[in-house]
Amino acid sequence: MSSGNVREDDSALSRADTALFRFEGWLNLAAGLVILGVMLLSVANILGRKLLNWPIPGFIDWMITAVPVMAFLGLAYCQRLGGHIRMDILIGRLRRRPLWIAEFASVILMLFVTGMLIYGSWDHAMRALTIGDSTGDIRLPTWPVKILVPLALALLMVRLLLQAAAYWRAIRDNAVQPVAVPLIEDAATQAAHEAETVSGFEETRG
Amino acid sequence: MTTIEVSILLAGLLILLVIIGVRVAFATALIGFIGLVIIFAIDKNQGLARGFVTAVKISGQIPHSKTASHVLALIPTFILIGFLAYYAGLTKALFEAAKRWVGWLPGGLAVATVFATAGFAAVSGASVATSAVFARIAIPEMLQLNYDKRFAAGVVAAGGTLASLIPPSAILVIYAIIVEASVGQLLMAGFLPGLVSAVIYAMLIIGLARRNPRLGPPVGGFSWKQRFESVPGALPIFAVVAIIIYCIYFGWGTPTEAGALGAFIVLVLALWRGMRWQNLRGALMETAKLTTMIFTMIWGVLIYVRYLGFADLPGTFADWLSSLHQPPMMTLLLILLAYVVLGMFMDAIGMLILTLPITFPAVMALNGGEGVSAADSALGMSGPECAIWFGIIVVKMAELCLITPPIGLNCFVVAGVRDDISVQDVFRGASPFFIADVVTVAVLIAFPGIVLWLPRLVLG
Repeated sequence: MSSGNVREDDSALSRADTALFRFEGWLNLAAGLVILGVMLLSVANILGRKLLNWPIPGFIDWMITAVPVMAFLGLAYCQRLGGHIRMDILIGRLRRRPLWIAEFASVILMLFVTGMLIYGSWDHAMRALTIGDSTGDIRLPTWPVKILVPLALALLMVRLLLQAAAYWRAIRDNAVQPVAVPLIEDAATQAAHEAETVSGFEETRG
Repeated sequence: MTTIEVSILLAGLLILLVIIGVRVAFATALIGFIGLVIIFAIDKNQGLARGFVTAVKISGQIPHSKTASHVLALIPTFILIGFLAYYAGLTKALFEAAKRWVGWLPGGLAVATVFATAGFAAVSGASVATSAVFARIAIPEMLQLNYDKRFAAGVVAAGGTLASLIPPSAILVIYAIIVEASVGQLLMAGFLPGLVSAVIYAMLIIGLARRNPRLGPPVGGFSWKQRFESVPGALPIFAVVAIIIYCIYFGWGTPTEAGALGAFIVLVLALWRGMRWQNLRGALMETAKLTTMIFTMIWGVLIYVRYLGFADLPGTFADWLSSLHQPPMMTLLLILLAYVVLGMFMDAIGMLILTLPITFPAVMALNGGEGVSAADSALGMSGPECAIWFGIIVVKMAELCLITPPIGLNCFVVAGVRDDISVQDVFRGASPFFIADVVTVAVLIAFPGIVLWLPRLVLG
């Protein structure tokens, strides 16, 4: 479930949140451009192969290099917007302090998973670097993409630490609508956001 | 405690984490990791410290190794097609064409809406977006002709669900990846059931409108000339479907290439229709976000699946099911019923990714195993065929959750677009279509040939 509802104010925490969000946004756009690039590359490959009898050299190698890039560049961005799927039907009923305690606990669990995965994926990347692992056809080294995984997870960790701090503050203040964290939206608000993404084009075009 | 008892306990803990709102991808990764620690520390006698490190290393490989696959590139491509299709301005042309061709039937505009959503589904894999778009286009026209408000809203909410079966469908690709079935065959398999679903919706509408003409009058008076004039506007859609199916059917390209070609056509069309960089940027940002969300779920669940493999929970569950001595069909129906209940509270993709590691091996075992021949099987189809057939059934079940209360998102979207229609009204309007969907699933179970005919042709 996505929720794009994050409040801002002029506190240091909120400013850190927006600064980080700008950076996450660039990375997410980069992921989007990789997706567009992969699509164009696939079209070039099929047309080149069928019409000119010249497929793109190492097409599969480029693809398996590109897919993890699109999977990980937007990781922290997605978390900032509360985009990773969860079931909020139960905690959506909580208000104020009990809610922030639940959210805080959830973020701490995620921090643990993320930390453990940073270590494991770093180890995986270093092994690829040491043994000089590469893709099958045109021998693209695999370590640059493998190293992207712990880096993206590290950025996610920064995001999670920031959210943990924000929830902690919300617990302390018993806040109604804390800053720097995605607030849970009910189905109606979510639906309104969904509808917004496809609105305004048909009308203007007439 | 035995390994199996531990794994059941961990499954219970996983459910608890999901219920209290931990992000599903991370909840599954966490439980998978804990499971691996227990396996290596205790079952394999490595001790806690070494077992922990082994588990960390195994888990740490999965995010990269499971996403480094060119088949996965299909998911973002299909999501992107959906966003671009909107800007390609195909929706109005489709609705207009459908209106001229089938509007004369009882409840004609509603029937036209169903076929237009089915057509739009062919360039969009996203149910919710389809409903949002048609709520803007179809509902105003229906209300102008005094169609019943609830009925009109229900048709649009239900019509949106067709997007998940008719290719390109992102959710079918996700299914294929989780259960390691052929993506090409699954996409082919979705085509006919999608059409059957649309026809059953249409028949329901005709039946309802006949019994109660106040629901909505037919719209007639179009000449054959006017009908054919409406076709060119909708042609790009048929081109995209034809290309994707043709590519896969004749082995012209991989599904990934076929999907990319479809997306490219829609992109060119959208640019030609005046899509700006702002629009494209927005579409790319949304696509990237959804892609990350889905891929994160996939590798998170695969960490759990790696643990399940060590613990053999799916195998034990399947053995237990087969030891029940009840007809396999009965067990299958119970599994489907569980999906209906689960679907009321969970998002479609989340529900599928979370449950398939357990239910898929169980259904395969019910049928007689992966390698069973059609003649020896319990459900009358070979192992690989059963994998495809169950995919279509389960995706149809997952779509049901988009129109069932309390969180059926399609209904909320329709109500969100139309301020004058309440969510309750949309749910009420969509309820007959729930029954239609149950009929569709029954038809697909009774006649698996509808699902398997096209993939069988491809198999040769």
